[in-house]
Amino acid sequence: MAPYGATPTCTSGKVHMADAGISAPQTQDAAIGQTGPAEFGAPRKYTTESILGIVVLGLAVAWIIWSFVSGPTLFLQVLTIGLSNGALYALIALGYTMVYGIIELINFAHGDLFMLGSVMGAIFLEQWVGELKSSAVAWLWLALTILFAMASCALINVVIERLAYRRLRNAPKLAPLITAVGMSFILQNIGIKLNGSAPHSRSSVLPKTSFAIGSVDVRIKYVVVVAITVPLLLLMTWIVQKTRVGKAMRATAQDRDASLLMGINVDRVISYTFALGGALAGAAGVLFVQVNEQTRYDAGFRLGLIAFTAAVLGGVGNLLGAVVGGVLIGVIQSLNDGAPHFFGQKWTQTVMFSILIVMVIFRPGGIFGAHQQEKV
Amino acid sequence: MSDLLLDARKVRVEFGGLVAVNDVDFQIPRGSIVALIGPNGAGKTTFFNVLTGLYSPTRGGVMFDDKNVVGVAPHKIAASGLARTFQNIRLFGAMTAAENVMVAMHPHLKSGVASTIFRTPKQRHEERDARSVAKELLEFVGIGGTDEEFAKNLPYGDQRRLEVARALALRPKLLLLDEPTAGMNPQESATFTSFVHKVRDERGVTVLLIEHDMKVVMGVSERITVLEYGSKIAEGTPQEIRTDQRVIEAYLGKTGTEAAGG
Amino acid sequence: MSHEILMLLRFGAIAGVFFVLFKFGPKTGAQGRVAKVIMAIAAVAAIACVPSLASTSAGALPLGTVVLCSVYALFALGLNIVVGFAGLLDLGYVAFFLFGAYTAAFLMSDFGYQVSARQGSSKHQFSFDIHFFTAALDTIKGVHISFWLVIIAAALVAAFAGLLIGAPTLRLKSDYLALVTLGFGEILPEVFRNSDNVYGFNLTNGTKGIGPVDQISMGYLHNLPKLPIVGKIPQTITSADNHTKFYVIVAICAVFVYASLKLRDGRLGRAWMAIREDELAASLMGVPLMRTKLWSYAVGAVAGGVGGAFYATIVGTVNVDSFTFAFSIIVLCAVILGGMGNVWGAIAGGVVITWFDYTGLTFLGGKVNQGLGTHINLKDYEFGLFGLVLVVMMLFRPQGLIPATRSKQVKRADMKTANDGDEDLIGFGSDPRVVEEDRLGYGMEVGVDHE
Repeated sequence: MAPYGATPTCTSGKVHMADAGISAPQTQDAAIGQTGPAEFGAPRKYTTESILGIVVLGLAVAWIIWSFVSGPTLFLQVLTIGLSNGALYALIALGYTMVYGIIELINFAHGDLFMLGSVMGAIFLEQWVGELKSSAVAWLWLALTILFAMASCALINVVIERLAYRRLRNAPKLAPLITAVGMSFILQNIGIKLNGSAPHSRSSVLPKTSFAIGSVDVRIKYVVVVAITVPLLLLMTWIVQKTRVGKAMRATAQDRDASLLMGINVDRVISYTFALGGALAGAAGVLFVQVNEQTRYDAGFRLGLIAFTAAVLGGVGNLLGAVVGGVLIGVIQSLNDGAPHFFGQKWTQTVMFSILIVMVIFRPGGIFGAHQQEKV
Repeated sequence: MSDLLLDARKVRVEFGGLVAVNDVDFQIPRGSIVALIGPNGAGKTTFFNVLTGLYSPTRGGVMFDDKNVVGVAPHKIAASGLARTFQNIRLFGAMTAAENVMVAMHPHLKSGVASTIFRTPKQRHEERDARSVAKELLEFVGIGGTDEEFAKNLPYGDQRRLEVARALALRPKLLLLDEPTAGMNPQESATFTSFVHKVRDERGVTVLLIEHDMKVVMGVSERITVLEYGSKIAEGTPQEIRTDQRVIEAYLGKTGTEAAGG
Repeated sequence: MSHEILMLLRFGAIAGVFFVLFKFGPKTGAQGRVAKVIMAIAAVAAIACVPSLASTSAGALPLGTVVLCSVYALFALGLNIVVGFAGLLDLGYVAFFLFGAYTAAFLMSDFGYQVSARQGSSKHQFSFDIHFFTAALDTIKGVHISFWLVIIAAALVAAFAGLLIGAPTLRLKSDYLALVTLGFGEILPEVFRNSDNVYGFNLTNGTKGIGPVDQISMGYLHNLPKLPIVGKIPQTITSADNHTKFYVIVAICAVFVYASLKLRDGRLGRAWMAIREDELAASLMGVPLMRTKLWSYAVGAVAGGVGGAFYATIVGTVNVDSFTFAFSIIVLCAVILGGMGNVWGAIAGGVVITWFDYTGLTFLGGKVNQGLGTHINLKDYEFGLFGLVLVVMMLFRPQGLIPATRSKQVKRADMKTANDGDEDLIGFGSDPRVVEEDRLGYGMEVGVDHE
């Protein structure tokens, strides 16, 4: 993690129009009239903001240590939940980040796509296949369910892009954003139709048992989630790094015009990005149901926003950042909800969205700083 | 009050490792017409952006009208009398010509929310005055009668003129023109020269322009500064610049025909 | 039956006069002034007719819905200033609604007295018992202040909240701004929900909500003689008296329409529009971005606050569960449906959307089911329909159903200049450089310095 004090690339040429929405995010600190003539020469190392950042970070660390010391067992137990949730957030956050990287759109509907994935997966596994208990066959079916949810979510996401966002690619920025909000509501309505307006309890086919490491009980289901997520993330990295289409995605994210001139089919690359993001959201949806044993139509809105917070934390547009941000946010949330000396569940949203607001205002480039080579 | 309206010392702008403006000294005497020229990518517009407060220089200082402007917000610099036009026209498309001009009167108008809602006599008076000033400015730049036309609907040449009218509405001491004749035909360019003189003589505005058309530059400016790769390579009267060896080299490499034409 | 037809005819005639004058009437000079006066009278008469019209509408237009429609029209007017005039996407408009409603709840109920009563600890005995030009009886303890003062307080509180939310966020890019406002809109209800025990103090009564909120006192207006159509104004608006509520909210809306129009045409309105069109150019023309944007937030928030306070008196209990993201979206829908930047469009959008929300879906659904023998509950599709409104409008009619005059006239210019600027050749938006720079993550040099 880059220390708060460092200003990675932006040593100079600061833009005063940070507030005009036309500059790169990291120039935020050049807000109106801070740079006095006295500061000519050396790049600024410690601004008030960066010092504040270090202080806040230090306090957070101290708080976590305090929490750990007060109840190590509970703390670690909660941490396992956090890692598993974090893995799911990472999967969802990747969808936000990839789409933002390539067409600069905050895809509001992405969280609701995740919700649809969870509902469709649950319907597939419970109602169509009828697997309700843990068994070897059920696990196979679970694997198939994940594939089913991935495929359907990928398809839905591609269709949404094709029908709605594509036509607005050259429109003023507000237009696609408002469209995405509208899409989010449409998907929620589909969720209500499929799932009902009340939470629907679902059964998990994962073992309910746990094993102990020292005094800490680790639930099998959390391990399974991580065990499925990690290969997915690796696969994803491989696709983006090594395959032709992955290279095309990166090129398009860098410079759409140049890619177009180089003969890249930009439309197809964008569709592909939406498909990948959708697939990850679908997988996250199925795993979410297996862990939480319920589906609800409004899960996408809340969790989607938290996942977006994760993407912002890691730097929107940055793949690795999304994963790290996802895990971090998962851990923070579970600590807040369960560990000693934190605020508890009734403040979850406040904590999450405060992180979002603080990050966006003070460090819109994410914890790694704004300038990332690796963008999709 | 010093004789210099603008005094930039050792201005340096770096982007990452790239030096866009390299320790440039630049002065503009009050009441003069000066030009900044140079091949593409020489850092001219970047320099403009430093003057108007869009960029903070990495190093160096800029005094405008005896006041420091480095680190001052763009709207404050504008209000203090530094107005500009844009290389690629940036009008408020969905607003009328008169409204475009009136936007730039913002710093000079006083009415606030309450007086606007209650339509105080003072506010109405102020609005009426602003409108007539706008009309007058539109006539001054030669597009009188277009008050109610939407900026986007105006022909290209008129849009350029409207940009100047809008800039003049700020009551500037210094007017920066960024490639004002781009896209103009030779006739329009020719009349432009006298127009710049008119702006200076009738409005008392000092003018700095970035320009590629050497005919215009040589015809209009009293002093010329030449930038290449972010550094100042020459400075002087049009006569001096025309014969300057480095300038000829710089231009012959890229746009030699223009230099020869000038 | 004949009575209903008479009502309709009367309303139609008045509305007809208004529209004929509006469309074809003289605009300028002495004649224009006369036309304006006639139009104003016609508008007042038409509005005065609405309650009697509603009572004969056979369930299509209950007066209660009409009142809510008007409240949402007020909200839409407020959001229109932020989204339509200044071009800032605010997805957390619910925050201002919340502040307005809670202001009314604190100042117009017995909660001030309950705060301490619920504590039980003698150390923290705080009780407020203030009565000021109120309809509430002296025997009811708590803070009871005249509604007319409360809406001023609500306006101030909301405007202040607007400044607080706006100050750190308004420098953000449009999409980030949207998210951060949304974040505030989600945090605030949680804070109010959980503030029933702040170091032992019950500040918001948590999920139980605050109520009952006092009725609106009409004060001296009661002394007026019986008016035509409107009738006698009561001393206090009882909860069932939708007639008077309607006139009150319409009067408030009228004030806002007037203020919106005046602001739009004045110095601030021009600055807002300039920012919407080209932020960078605006600031280089001397428009202070931050202050101008904050004003749009504050003025927009005032409508939300006043509407919230009024809403509190209609529903009687201010419950934290009413303040949802869906509210922000409904109001946004209204603004977009009507046409961003158009005052009349915002009102129309607010009325139409709210009618569908509270009555239309059920009513139309009933009619459809009756006709086709189906059992579709249209209300189930409410979310989807709102979403569809947003998507369809953005795709096919971004200027709204009643576009602002300017967007109508500039529209054809869009066609004309599409090929003029070198910018659009490649097919980017209005300013390709901006996008490019952001991606590369340098400063701005790549963009502006294209020489």
